[in-house]
Amino acid sequence: MIELSHLTKVYGDVAVVHDVNMHVEAGTITVIVGTSGSGKSTLLRMVNRLVEPTKGRVLVEGRDVLKMPAHELRRSIGYAIQSHGLFPHWTVARNIATVPMLLGWDRKKVAARVEELMELFQLDHVQFADRYPHELSGGQQQRVGVARAMAAKPTLLLMDEPFGALDPIIRGKAQADLKAIQRRTGTTILLVTHDMDEAIHLGDRIAVMNGGDLKQYAPAADILARPADAFVDDLIGPADRPFHYLTLGTVRTAVEPGEADGAPLAADTSLYEGLGALLWSGRRTAPVVDASGAALGRVSLGGIADKAARPR
Amino acid sequence: MTTLADAEMGGTATPRFDRLGVVIAIAAGTGLRLFDALPTMGAVAVAAALVAALVAAMASRRPLFRLALGALALAALALGAGAAGAHLTPTDNPYARIAPASGFWLGLFATAMLMTDAMVRLKLGPLGRLVALVITAALVAALLASGAWSHLSLIAEYRNRADVFWREAESHLLLAAGSLAAAAIIGLPLGVLAYQVRAVRDPLINILNIIQTIPSMALFGILIAPLGWVAAHVPGAHAIGIRGIGMAPAFVALFLYSLLPMMANTVVGLSGVSRAVVDAARGMGLTGRQRLMQVEIPLALPVILAGIRIVLVQNIGLATVAALIGGGGFGVFLFQGLGQTATDLILLGALPPVALAFAAAVLLDAVIEISARGKA
Repeated sequence: MIELSHLTKVYGDVAVVHDVNMHVEAGTITVIVGTSGSGKSTLLRMVNRLVEPTKGRVLVEGRDVLKMPAHELRRSIGYAIQSHGLFPHWTVARNIATVPMLLGWDRKKVAARVEELMELFQLDHVQFADRYPHELSGGQQQRVGVARAMAAKPTLLLMDEPFGALDPIIRGKAQADLKAIQRRTGTTILLVTHDMDEAIHLGDRIAVMNGGDLKQYAPAADILARPADAFVDDLIGPADRPFHYLTLGTVRTAVEPGEADGAPLAADTSLYEGLGALLWSGRRTAPVVDASGAALGRVSLGGIADKAARPR
Repeated sequence: MTTLADAEMGGTATPRFDRLGVVIAIAAGTGLRLFDALPTMGAVAVAAALVAALVAAMASRRPLFRLALGALALAALALGAGAAGAHLTPTDNPYARIAPASGFWLGLFATAMLMTDAMVRLKLGPLGRLVALVITAALVAALLASGAWSHLSLIAEYRNRADVFWREAESHLLLAAGSLAAAAIIGLPLGVLAYQVRAVRDPLINILNIIQTIPSMALFGILIAPLGWVAAHVPGAHAIGIRGIGMAPAFVALFLYSLLPMMANTVVGLSGVSRAVVDAARGMGLTGRQRLMQVEIPLALPVILAGIRIVLVQNIGLATVAALIGGGGFGVFLFQGLGQTATDLILLGALPPVALAFAAAVLLDAVIEISARGKA
């Protein structure tokens, strides 16, 4: 989907992004994580040419982005940013319609698409279509921002700290919604964040940037198990590592035969949530059921603990 | 309280002999008290209206009530002044002049303050303020058209010069609005350029700042020489009205004064557009022109309109000075009046620009507020 080769951006004599090579699989979520000044945003912005590369090449679906007119390239790629950047003088519907209108879709098709997206993002069409952004809550504005980015059905969506302005509870919900919508639409997402939790929660693969260099690019489990260097290790936070690890698996993977008392856990609950439920209810075991409510067995504190240990 | 009431009721009128055209000197006027200027019943009515308005306004805090009281007092003052004119004008002397004196003006000031205060407290929306402006204008027009004031000297001066008055009104508007239009046509693109090209911004603003510091009389003077040269040497320039003195230098000077607020407000307005919004617009694939026309200018519009408001109000005032170099406008009456110490003539030149500037300010403030909606 995306192929970055020897991608470099130099401002003055500082290489903000230095010789990055990366391949992003279609239909996946890839998260670029790093501290501020790591070059993660610059890397993202070179994909739709909001920043022109100093050296190197970007291929999107096999096409060299530097050989396309910048505005046409950007219309074909979704773009959502922190604090959403909605146009304050346009209604919600007009905001979402931005790219389809630029592409010259006919009015009916645009209206239908706006309605479809508002439903997808749980925004009541009747209630919100004609409102202005400042009349919406932060979470609603953020959803409109993502809906706008996906309006012209781009196969690639770039997101620069899209949840940065949200409070923790709404952020968790927004992340879960994004993941669900991505699974449904199959859109390839390249997302930038400074938050390792967010990266592990959302990313099929995680790219860690530091000082302009790509330090490690691997699936979340690999990053946790085998951090490439001390910086990546630090970013994960050694104390949090086993718990991060538990967020990646479901209790289904730790099911053992047997019975247990108390409220059952759904098989799709993450190991992390399962651990929390056991600890808080003071139990050492809990029954596990599948989506239809049929008993699968039980899960135990020891079984979950085994899953949190460093893989050998 | 007694003294204030006295001041408001002292609606004295001034009979005065104005033998304009025969001798420049004018006989000094005689001040009259309210009860000498009006028949007893009329004087009692005016005094009663003023006292009632004053007492009730002090007793009540409700803005709508206070506004109505102010309007009542104002109507009493205006009709009283007109009636005094009719009552005092001698039938056998066409040169006699009756003018409202300090009592009337103080009363007018007090009632206007009362009404303005009430209007502010009413917190009218932009449309409400526009309606109030139209009603005010209609009432003033009705008063003038009704002939109630036809015996007052201000109207007499107007009647003697009616055709000149409207010609100068036209010049005044042409100067003020024309130079604004020219400044908008040049200043807006200049502002966009200064916003987009940083290197241009500071030199441009500095040059216009220097022009802004030149006093208007000096600028008229400075422009006489180059425009005179252009009129004499550029073919066709003289034919389209370019001269060293007259309308052309006044127009150019007002245009130059207008450029800075136009350009500076455009730059400030565009710079004030949120960076996230501009970044999103680029990222969505709007071209530079689409970004400017669809996002940046609409969002900067309230600030740009504020620039237009500054320029229009400033130009309506400054255009008065244009008369000094033969540029026409209401200043013609003002400076004639100053030369002849004829107060009514001064007022004839001064009141219309004041009213126009006030109306322009109210109108544009309302437009700015409407344009700023939904851009919080």
